[in-house]
Amino acid sequence: MEKALQPKKRKNAMRDTLGDKVFYTINGIFLGLVALIVLYPLYFIVIASISNTDAVLAGEVVLLPKDITLDGYAKILEHKEIWNGYLNTLIYTGLTVVLSLLVTIPAGWALSRKTLPGKKWFMIFFIIPMFFGGGLIPFYNVMSSLGLVNTIWAIILPSILSVWNLFMSKTFFESSIPNGLIEAAKIDGAGQWRIFASVVIPLSKAVIAVMALYYAVGQWNSYFNAMIFLQDESKYPLQLVLKEILIASESTVGGSGETMLEQFRLANQLKYVSVIASSLPVLCLYPFVQKYFAQGVMIGSLKE
Amino acid sequence: MKKLISLLLVLVILLSMTACGGGGGSSKPAESSDVDKLVSEYGFQWTDPSKPILNDKGAQELSFNVYSSKNASAKDYNDMKIMQDLYESTNVFVNWENVSESIYSQQKNLIFGNKDQRPDAIYHAGMGAGEILKYAKRKVLVPISDYLDYMPNFKKLLEERPDIKAQIVNVEDGKIYSLPRIEEMGLLQNPNILFLNKAWTQAAIDAGTLTGVTADDLKDGLALKYDQMEALLTYWRDNDMNGNGKADDERPLSFVYNNWQGNQCDLYGMFGINDNLEHRIIVDGKVTYTVQDPRFKEATNFIADWVSKGLIDKASFDQSQDVFLANGKGTEKYGAFYWWESETVVSNPENYITCAPLIGPDGSQTVCISNNPEVGAGEVVIFSECQNVEVLLAYFDRYYDPVISAQINYGPIGIVYEEERDEKGMLVQKPLPEGLTADELRLQNAPLGIIYLGDYAWNNVVNMEPRAKLRLDRLTAYVTPYMPANVKQCLTMPFTSDELNVIANLETNLNDHIRTNLIKWILKGGVTDAEWDTFQKELTGKCKIDDLAKVYQDAYDRFQSGK
Amino acid sequence: MDTVTGTLSAPVLSKPVKPVNRKWKHLRENAPFLLMILPAVVVVFLFCYLPIYGVLIAFQDFMPGDPILSKDTIWVGFENFSRFFNDPQFWPLMKNTFLICIFGFVIGFPLPIIISLTLNALKSKKVGKTLQTIFTAPHFISLVVLVGMLSLFFGSGGLLASIARHFGGEYESLFLKDSAFRPLYILSSNWQDFGWSAVIYIAALSNVDPQQHEAAILDGATRFQRVIHVDLPAIMPMISVMLIMSIGGLMGVGYEKALLMQTDANLSVSELVSTYVYKRGLTGVPDQAYASAIGLFNSVINVVLLIIANTTSKKFSENSLW
Repeated sequence: MEKALQPKKRKNAMRDTLGDKVFYTINGIFLGLVALIVLYPLYFIVIASISNTDAVLAGEVVLLPKDITLDGYAKILEHKEIWNGYLNTLIYTGLTVVLSLLVTIPAGWALSRKTLPGKKWFMIFFIIPMFFGGGLIPFYNVMSSLGLVNTIWAIILPSILSVWNLFMSKTFFESSIPNGLIEAAKIDGAGQWRIFASVVIPLSKAVIAVMALYYAVGQWNSYFNAMIFLQDESKYPLQLVLKEILIASESTVGGSGETMLEQFRLANQLKYVSVIASSLPVLCLYPFVQKYFAQGVMIGSLKE
Repeated sequence: MKKLISLLLVLVILLSMTACGGGGGSSKPAESSDVDKLVSEYGFQWTDPSKPILNDKGAQELSFNVYSSKNASAKDYNDMKIMQDLYESTNVFVNWENVSESIYSQQKNLIFGNKDQRPDAIYHAGMGAGEILKYAKRKVLVPISDYLDYMPNFKKLLEERPDIKAQIVNVEDGKIYSLPRIEEMGLLQNPNILFLNKAWTQAAIDAGTLTGVTADDLKDGLALKYDQMEALLTYWRDNDMNGNGKADDERPLSFVYNNWQGNQCDLYGMFGINDNLEHRIIVDGKVTYTVQDPRFKEATNFIADWVSKGLIDKASFDQSQDVFLANGKGTEKYGAFYWWESETVVSNPENYITCAPLIGPDGSQTVCISNNPEVGAGEVVIFSECQNVEVLLAYFDRYYDPVISAQINYGPIGIVYEEERDEKGMLVQKPLPEGLTADELRLQNAPLGIIYLGDYAWNNVVNMEPRAKLRLDRLTAYVTPYMPANVKQCLTMPFTSDELNVIANLETNLNDHIRTNLIKWILKGGVTDAEWDTFQKELTGKCKIDDLAKVYQDAYDRFQSGK
Repeated sequence: MDTVTGTLSAPVLSKPVKPVNRKWKHLRENAPFLLMILPAVVVVFLFCYLPIYGVLIAFQDFMPGDPILSKDTIWVGFENFSRFFNDPQFWPLMKNTFLICIFGFVIGFPLPIIISLTLNALKSKKVGKTLQTIFTAPHFISLVVLVGMLSLFFGSGGLLASIARHFGGEYESLFLKDSAFRPLYILSSNWQDFGWSAVIYIAALSNVDPQQHEAAILDGATRFQRVIHVDLPAIMPMISVMLIMSIGGLMGVGYEKALLMQTDANLSVSELVSTYVYKRGLTGVPDQAYASAIGLFNSVINVVLLIIANTTSKKFSENSLW
């Protein structure tokens, strides 16, 4: 079989190369340009974080750092709360990912099944909160009645289901899990849970990875709920600690103008460093997640 | 199925309504505290400020929860020495709960919204006039003026300064619902001082471009005429003044457009207009909008002319103040600039002299008069649920004593000030500890907040910060003499809620309209007569500027009559 | 995992069943789905539906601490709404907000799709993966830093200004040009989000059956044709869903970025509904109810858009939300 195919393939391969070369070149140039547009500002953040603040603000830092100083990093590391912040964020993110996967993935699977009783109503149920919200005060009062204020659950529980993520999983399941497999398993006598656990999950590595990533980064970057619900500074996540260190620019308790200006200077010094401090860990983890986007997850499973 | 769903929906709504149970129901105001009981059991006294307010039993059993935002560099207020000193001297135990300012701005509404768990008071409350009005109507806040008998310092202050009283009184019921912050240094009215690069000016004199000025004149107080300034700026624009080989990196005149200080408004002084960021001022007791003055048009065209000639650095119009300050460091780039001091702007302040205001074509020479108030109302509010509010008020009253005010504002005796006073009885600053600037020491140890620092305090109790003093000296010498006697600040007076509604509806629109037009004219070469006329019509037409002026006028008249 | 194996179990010989029994059987068979969806329902109910009574604030004269549903509540009907509609700034604000949203969408929606397709079509998987990581990095830059960089690059004293001066030209700061606000705002948002939004498409593409590609190659398709006829259809369901949901969220734009980028010169285009409401809250009286009314108004617009989008999608394709 293969021997017969090879000559034909090679001929096609040669023909492909001609028209495809153009495509690949254009594709490459396009992506290269995009990469440059993305890379330069990222590079700028790195060199700005080690340059003299005044030079950065005056626009003197372009391709190379100026007056290299690690002052910004030293100042941030001076704040011991930052390590606590990292730890907290890791815990919150970990918990969020685990819980959110447990909640979102089965729900996404159920929503993707045509035989879900009341499917249309469930969809509407989930869609409505995407548009209508009560606002901060009722939300706070509800959390207060639930006894969640000043607990870590106040920032974890509301985040474990995002309707966007839910619908993305649903779509994923609808289009990537072939019905043939499900039917076959059913005929084998497997119940819905069995099907879910042994057929669906192994085939869903990509969507699980994406969901884990989205939820993890969502939690990693968030600070608002922490800001209003957490009173203990020891529970602050990283982003909130950084925000505190950066100091809000509308200083009402600044006393004299001189001191306010000092704080502006400080904020400027630490701006770029804080971006690196908060994003580096996640960016380092991203390649691990990419592994699950492997091609050919389905190979070998649908040979009929 | 449908039945089930509708049943569920009803259930949801019902449950949702019960969830708001926390918000429903009326809040109980504190039972009127039994002052007699306080006196007999806890030794409550309020007449003698040198003695404790409560006895030891009171110190142990009574306490107050005060919620306060704090500066990021400050210690927790519970740990501050001044708070501990105050506890020792008054026996009133205050439990401070601190958050950062950014958190507070979000938390404020939640605190008010959560009836059951409110603190006794909020410090650094940042309450706006409208908020106080609305909450007062709902009886959420304590009417402090009802308890003035327990507050000797504050009561005296209000009697001596009816002008302050007029600024903090709630117009609708005549009561006071918040404690103010009063820091009268005389600095806020004039936010701009013109600084000039001495060496560069000398070069212009030597080159013959600048006439009428000799080397001897190049000292603080120099008053340049508009044509002299123009020649000077032109010279700087065209030449390489800082010797780096590039003739185009010098910035002749810089400022930060529409910044709260260091802004462009002094330039309008060349045409006799005391402009400010709101373009609203009191002239002869009447609320006046500067943009309706025909001289404003001439001033705009004049400034636009300078901009188009490159005499005003265009970066002034979109740079933030951080960028403005950063550009002054390193290579000398600034020829002239507006700020309130030169020391923070440039790395070589000794090369810059302080100038008197510029003299315009018709001889006018005046400055910006800002509407920044020295009295900050809404600094502290007390919730009506607070128990034993008389004690708390008597405690806060101590803050208005000048010696305590000084410590609240700058730091405690023992850390920032010496124990011993000097021969005039003034507080003496201690030498700074290693590695800390004066600002840092102050922020760490001073909570700031409700203070009363006026002339009496500056003359008898505490010296101003050296930088503030320097600025005051400069202002007194070179700026305030040029303020016309009949022009006054148009402060934000207490308004009725109707007036506040008018302001809310009209002011943002008016400001947007004015600002959009002004920047266009300044950057695009000026305003034609036709455009100006259209603008005036729009002001009175769709912007309803007269309605706004009336609101401010009514408030101002009330203020004047109340004094 | 092995699929079709073993013996077929004997078919279940069912007696003719009454319709009720069949319904019950159906329910019992699919009950596990209900269990699977239950946690999600609980979470959404607790944190989204319970607070929903807050929309009533839009119809009240409300200060924090007022009861929302009691005899003491001060109802004002549609007054907050009519105040908004009668504001002279109403149409300019709506126009500014709408334009920013629609242009942002038109550019921002296809971009992640295109990027995911092009990345997927790269010969070197390693390069593709590296580029993927790089493209997601901008997502992590905080807003303040982003706008700071924008003013450093495009402002009066910035990068482009220096380059222009170098070539002897004049440079007008993009922050002082009102025509530059929208492009700057939108393109910087797109720059920040495209890589991150592409992740879901990349994941979907990775699930494409390679046999489909092989079949296409055998048919003589070029790489480009493969993209159009194999890759694109594979992610079409995802695209449809994302399209519908994005349209449903179209009018929601926050105030922070626009406020940071606002200068006097671009006020006429940069004043959005959200920034206007924010500024109004700072002067005069802070008005929760007013903001809430406007939020409700926005929501209604979004719902209408969503229904239109969903119905249209149902007509032209098989994919829709419901």
